[in-house]
Amino acid sequence: MKEIKVENRREGNILSRVFDELNEFCRARSLFILHYCTGCGAIELPPVMTSRFDMERLGVQPMVTPRQADILLITGYVSIKTLKRVMLTYEQMGSPKYVIGICSCTVNGGMYWQSYATAKKLDEYMPVDLYIAGCMPRPEAIISGLRSLIRNIELGESNNWKKYYENYDYYLGNQQKLFGDEWQTPVDVIGEAEHYGLVGEGTYGEHTEILQRVQQPLKPLEMRL
Amino acid sequence: MDTQIFTEISLSEILVELLLMPVIAFLVGLVMVLWMRKIGARVQRRIGPPLFQPLYDVVKLFGKKTQVSHGVVHDIGIVMAMGGYIAAETLLPVPGMNGIAVYGGIITLTYLMMIPSLGLALGVGQCANPNGSIGISRALTAMLAYDIPFVIIVFGVAFHHETTNLVEIITQQQQAGIASWGAVQNPLLALAGLATLQGMLGKQPFEIYIAPAEIATGPMVEMSGKYLGGLFVMQAFQLYTAAVLYVSLFLGGGESWFELLAKSFVVVSIPMMIAFVFPRYRTEDLVRLFWKWPVMIGLLGVAFVG
Ligand code: SF4
Repeated sequence: MKEIKVENRREGNILSRVFDELNEFCRARSLFILHYCTGCGAIELPPVMTSRFDMERLGVQPMVTPRQADILLITGYVSIKTLKRVMLTYEQMGSPKYVIGICSCTVNGGMYWQSYATAKKLDEYMPVDLYIAGCMPRPEAIISGLRSLIRNIELGESNNWKKYYENYDYYLGNQQKLFGDEWQTPVDVIGEAEHYGLVGEGTYGEHTEILQRVQQPLKPLEMRL
Repeated sequence: MDTQIFTEISLSEILVELLLMPVIAFLVGLVMVLWMRKIGARVQRRIGPPLFQPLYDVVKLFGKKTQVSHGVVHDIGIVMAMGGYIAAETLLPVPGMNGIAVYGGIITLTYLMMIPSLGLALGVGQCANPNGSIGISRALTAMLAYDIPFVIIVFGVAFHHETTNLVEIITQQQQAGIASWGAVQNPLLALAGLATLQGMLGKQPFEIYIAPAEIATGPMVEMSGKYLGGLFVMQAFQLYTAAVLYVSLFLGGGESWFELLAKSFVVVSIPMMIAFVFPRYRTEDLVRLFWKWPVMIGLLGVAFVG
């Protein structure tokens, strides 16, 4: 995978630069988490949220739908069936979005690395901003991970969400390898990339061609009582 | 009845009030959101969010790079949700700015306060998310539930003061001192008002339409970016409107801004203190409860209005 240069934030006139700075500043201090509790690591999240460690003091609070969230928290092993749901969730989130992989299982499969039903490396399927390794990581580790994500966002270094648009072919290819060539999601990632000017060298490729060939247009749901 | 409150108002004054009142309401509302979250955190023995958290949230949401709209009605719904309250703010008399409120009256205000829910219903409808539809139908049912006691209370207060003009109601209370406050004169109405306030703000035990774990925050389920930001702004307005209205009806309004804000913050604290020690009622229980107790207390209050 090619390295993608991080966009230089300090562009445009003074007013827009001030505005960008303000935006970045607020974004780092207000993070809504969507916790996709797949594996055993989820058990360490309640103490992070409640009175012992209280992540709200960092401006991090739990949210319940992908539309509202900024951070997708994957807490543990991801089976192939789960990964489909994770992909749907990830694509519905509004950018800028960040992915945190908690637990060794998201890094390399952990103790499930021999399993036929587990997706081993999370960042083959979506760009991951931060890993918090451990089997399972303690709440202190999660808090310190959140802190370093906040620092990265404030410095403008966490732009991995753009990679998904710019390298969509790579990610789609890996997804197709697992789910088969018929794989499609309701979100039109290529369309979004074109709309927001995020088309990169890797947006189109052989895998997106397959997608365009097999893609069925979305139909409105049938109304039934 | 003294008619001196109907003073001449110049065009520039109207413009200043139209601009300034919503802005003040928004800023005070943000502080109220923080206050509410801080109380919640303290009840749960947490530290709670930092000082500017509500502002960070709103700026961040409006600054999201990708925005997902579900269509024109979705957009209009959010504008209605905010607009209803922005219009309501100009009719809420506050110290030094009564010019427009004098001509509004409490009936108009009551109507305006229903617009946001209806706008939200429109917007959520177009999102076509089943959770959202369930949520909004529950929200409208809840509105039906708490609006009956609300109207009874408004009627009772108007009957007591023999006017529907909010400025007049406040002036009467302020001129005669604490003994003439609504809360002293009509304690039953004030009590029913507290229950209504709890329902209006959608706090536990009356928050079944949000129910994060069951229907994924109901009406908010498909809202992202600026749409959710709009709802956050709406929440700030809502807290301000409900608190200031309660203070105007029962606690003598405010002769100075300090007095008004102090009273309003006390008023918004009450639902929060109650909220965090309660689970929630189901929709039908909620309606039953609202149509029984607050309505009964309210009607009793009306009967004793002198
Ligand atoms: S790393 Fe350990 S605790 Fe985490 S999901 Fe894997 S097996 Fe479970």
